[in-house]
Amino acid sequence: MFKKILIANRGEIACRVIQTARKMGILTVAVYSEADCDSLHVELADEGVCIGPAASKESYLVIDKIIAACKQTGAEAVHPGYGFLSENQEFSRRLEEEGIIFIGPKHYSVGQMGDKIASKKLANEAKVNTIPGYADAIDTAEQAVEIAKGIGYPVMIKASAGGGGKGLRVAFDDKECFEGFTSCRNEAKTAFGDDRILIEKYVLEPRHIEIQVLGDAHGNTVYLHERECSIQRRHQKVIEEAPSPFLDPATRKAMGEQAVALAKAVNYQSAGTVEFVVGADKSFYFLEMNTRLQVEHPVTEMITGLDLVEQMIRVAAGEKLAFKQEDLKINGWAMECRINAEDPFRGFLPSTGRLVKFQPPVAVEGQVRVDTGVYDGGEISMYYDSMIAKLIVHGATREQAISRMRGALNAFVIRGISSNIPFQSALMQHPRFHSGNFNTGFIAEEYPKGFDASMVPHDDPALLISVAAFVHRRYIDRAAKVSGQLAGHERKVGDDWVVLRDGEQHLVNATPVTGGYLIAYKGEKYEIVSNWRLGQPIMHGTCNGEEFTLQLERRGIRYRLFHWGAQVDLTVLTAHAAALLALMPEKAPPDLSKFLLSPMPGLLREVSVKEGQEVKAGEKLAVIEAMKMENILKADQDCKVRKLVAKSGESLSVDQVIIEFE
Amino acid sequence: MHDIIRQLDDKRSAARLGGGEKRIAAQHAKGKLTARERIELFLDPGSFEEWDMFKEHRCTDFGMEKQSLPGDGVVTGYGTVNGRLIFVFSQDFTVLGGSLSETHAEKICKVMDHAMKVGAPVIGLNDSGGARIQEGVASLGGYADVFQRNVMASGVVPQISMIMGPCAGGAVYSPAMTDFIFMVKDSSYMFVTGPEVVKTVTHEEVTAEELGGAVTHTSKSGVADLAFENDVEALTMLRRFINFLPSNNREKPPVQPTNDPAERLDFSLDTLVPDNANKPYDMKELIIKMVDDCDFFEIQPDYAKNIITGFARMDGHTIGIVANQPLVLAGCLDIKSSIKAARFVRFCDAFNIPVVTLVDVPGFMPGTTQEYGGIIKHGAKLLYAYAECTVPKVTLITRKAYGGAYDVMSSKHLRGDVNMAWPSAEIAVMGPKGAVEIIFREEKGDPEKLAQREAEYKAKFANPFVAGARGFIDDVIMPNETRKRVCRSLAMLRDKKLENPWRKHGNIPL
Repeated sequence: MFKKILIANRGEIACRVIQTARKMGILTVAVYSEADCDSLHVELADEGVCIGPAASKESYLVIDKIIAACKQTGAEAVHPGYGFLSENQEFSRRLEEEGIIFIGPKHYSVGQMGDKIASKKLANEAKVNTIPGYADAIDTAEQAVEIAKGIGYPVMIKASAGGGGKGLRVAFDDKECFEGFTSCRNEAKTAFGDDRILIEKYVLEPRHIEIQVLGDAHGNTVYLHERECSIQRRHQKVIEEAPSPFLDPATRKAMGEQAVALAKAVNYQSAGTVEFVVGADKSFYFLEMNTRLQVEHPVTEMITGLDLVEQMIRVAAGEKLAFKQEDLKINGWAMECRINAEDPFRGFLPSTGRLVKFQPPVAVEGQVRVDTGVYDGGEISMYYDSMIAKLIVHGATREQAISRMRGALNAFVIRGISSNIPFQSALMQHPRFHSGNFNTGFIAEEYPKGFDASMVPHDDPALLISVAAFVHRRYIDRAAKVSGQLAGHERKVGDDWVVLRDGEQHLVNATPVTGGYLIAYKGEKYEIVSNWRLGQPIMHGTCNGEEFTLQLERRGIRYRLFHWGAQVDLTVLTAHAAALLALMPEKAPPDLSKFLLSPMPGLLREVSVKEGQEVKAGEKLAVIEAMKMENILKADQDCKVRKLVAKSGESLSVDQVIIEFE
Repeated sequence: MHDIIRQLDDKRSAARLGGGEKRIAAQHAKGKLTARERIELFLDPGSFEEWDMFKEHRCTDFGMEKQSLPGDGVVTGYGTVNGRLIFVFSQDFTVLGGSLSETHAEKICKVMDHAMKVGAPVIGLNDSGGARIQEGVASLGGYADVFQRNVMASGVVPQISMIMGPCAGGAVYSPAMTDFIFMVKDSSYMFVTGPEVVKTVTHEEVTAEELGGAVTHTSKSGVADLAFENDVEALTMLRRFINFLPSNNREKPPVQPTNDPAERLDFSLDTLVPDNANKPYDMKELIIKMVDDCDFFEIQPDYAKNIITGFARMDGHTIGIVANQPLVLAGCLDIKSSIKAARFVRFCDAFNIPVVTLVDVPGFMPGTTQEYGGIIKHGAKLLYAYAECTVPKVTLITRKAYGGAYDVMSSKHLRGDVNMAWPSAEIAVMGPKGAVEIIFREEKGDPEKLAQREAEYKAKFANPFVAGARGFIDDVIMPNETRKRVCRSLAMLRDKKLENPWRKHGNIPL
């Protein structure tokens, strides 16, 4: 076994690899850029080598620097993590030349799988299902119909030169195919000057399901079952789970065996992933093979009990797999949420800055696991990926896993930057997600206009009301203990309170009990017990014996509670005060449509309009530089500029007014 | 006897109705509560003892003899807030517009005199159209009587003004002399001359809100300390505020027990100060993570934001916090921030509240605006306030403490009791770049040499050890242990006794 390995990566994956290495008694070397000198992976590793400036292409992507770091520290092997150099053939070849072991597949396997056309060909040869299609140019619409019939409807007709979804058509019968081909070709001609058209099988309601494979240098290859990764936002995975709620044992076995066949075909010796698209009819087709450790590998670890990084290291060290296919069972259900530094309420804009508070949920062996590369008081820089943590849970059933995930998300405290936790919480309680009936279009279909707070209804308002009453009484009772009271005329706190939510009054009675308060609300009793300390952002407690976790902030006379993705503002007053508050006029919130507000903190680089100027919708108004990224702000509608409020060169905070319109 | 009791009941009901149901409805329609509703909300339920309910004015001119209402437009008395004695007067806009008559003023003076005698705060809830013009000079005399008492009570018992309606002309000078002014947005305004007069004299067109509303006074003029959304929020927060303050200058501030451990460490603070000396950070994060229960009651949050002032507790005991804010103007001292902090320090000193000063100050703000505006005199106010101050003073330098501003910010030399520094502290006459450009003036043409000099200077002075070697810094502490170390310092200083020499009064550079 190796004595020392180098991890050519950063963030959570570097930390995760270091942890396994440490468990195996292997020393670790971290490499880091100048922006990462205070990072967790550097802190955790036994040694660290700085490999250059913040930009990845000057540090983490420079093969020579990694090799030099290996030589400098005497590392015998390199684990590449994911991303960066993990699937770089040149890198693994160079390491081989230098006599350093690459903890991953051989360079030839990487090479064969790196090319889309070659890998598809290889897959065909290995009898792996690939999407049926016709790759050569098609001359006439009649010919197209014949080809489509051969493939079987529905089919996808697309321009050979077109990228993304441009000019793409789906045909369900001969007529649609004939028309689709004709118009698609005309379009392609004008748009790209290239009228070559492709036809391939259109997979209805496609799911992204991938098979984890593992091979050693002794010809053993197994599959570690599947991961369901269909919950994606703009092709980025958001939630992954294992097993898939969709596969039956027969399909799983068929997919697993094909994946193994493919891995064997390229003599694959490490952990790898074979991605499939799976149709509503359970037909599955090979997409590509990822010749590295995947972000979502922990869900496989949770259901198989294996440590994939350990397996990769052992295989790289020449060991034989210690188990056979029949030993690999699926134990329970695992799920992973990617926690990203982004603001779900502002179109998922990346959020960078200081982590004023970072307190992940407590890890529980076999139930809750947190993989992260950041820490309380750390800095989220703009140079790297926005994923700051992975929250992984395990349960005996899918329902239990979901319920644990909801609890863990409630307990995940992140302050200073925004995170996608509210969005993840919303997904976790979406009925369609619960049903398991979804495909890769799920987020686009369910949240076509983005995400806002109203999309997370809270189905237990009584809990929120009771907790608000509890918190308020804690504060009031504490204040009532102040010294210097008139003897015999001390403050007596009443038990009757009104909790206000959206102007609605909820009458509650809160009486002290051991460790908390008994809240009477609408004829029901809620005994809230918690050792929550004033001012803490997180509260663990029980409501009638049932555990709950939520987060809160005290803002003036309001309490903001965060629970299950919902943010709810509550005010607790005496009945008298509530009655008087009802007399206060509702102040209309300022009409923000008349203003251009800064969507993020940053530097106002440029104001592109003048006072009095008429602006058309879509026209550029201003440019904000946030952490060296330029963000162009455009007009939502036609308008006239009344006043330029902020000056170019000014630093802006979130929601600061830049321009006022008429 | 029965007759008297019936009369009493009738008189009470009449007084309670103030200016009558119609005017009460009008008051509510303006989003304002009545004088009595405000007192009920503010004081502990059922604790209010009203005085002079039956007091009536004595004016007989201009038909005033026909318009006599019991109470005369102000409700006065005492009660408790969290069991602690508080005197209060609340002007009743429904009675003759809350206008101040001779008798109205007498009522206010009566509670102020009592408050002074027993040593309890006076809270004024202001909602008055101004002087009772019909009374002429009698009304003016009433104002002056109140002013005189404001001055006599200053530094003896806390005085807080809550402006909940109009407060114009000479009337503004009573709140102006109290310790804190709070205002309610959209329903209160304060100015010496109203928009009409402004228009005729200077031809400026301005609304009452723009001229003297809550937002104006809390962000532009600095006259007011806090602005609230409505009466209920204002009075609820006022209750919270009162809990920080001692009742008078003879007693220590109250103690509110806490279960936030004094020894609590916070490792996230170790990374608060960025490596790059020019990168700002939010000083409020340190404050919130340092104090009991994350509970910081900020004063003047929207004015002179380059300095932070406010109250908090440590170990349950009230402290005043003054902190430079690197996020705004790099935390430098200028005219506004000097005045803001000086007044705050003097309040703390008057009422035995220890001052914790958090320092990251690059110096005084340069420029003609500042010099012409008298930064010399105004900056001196803060220096004077700190130097005069005898309450426990704990100072922590987090990063920059440059030049004269270092001296000003509660330095050891100004009788700072415990002065600590984080390892990131740089205590010097100025930043390395500026210093080198002066010391090695002749090497100006050689940027390479200058850079080397700068590095040398940095190595020598950009650390807390030079000041430590002289004893100007008592200890260098890790950021994570800030709460523990400050709590201990304050505990050690709890019985501090220090007196300034007797004099009639000092001559602070006003």
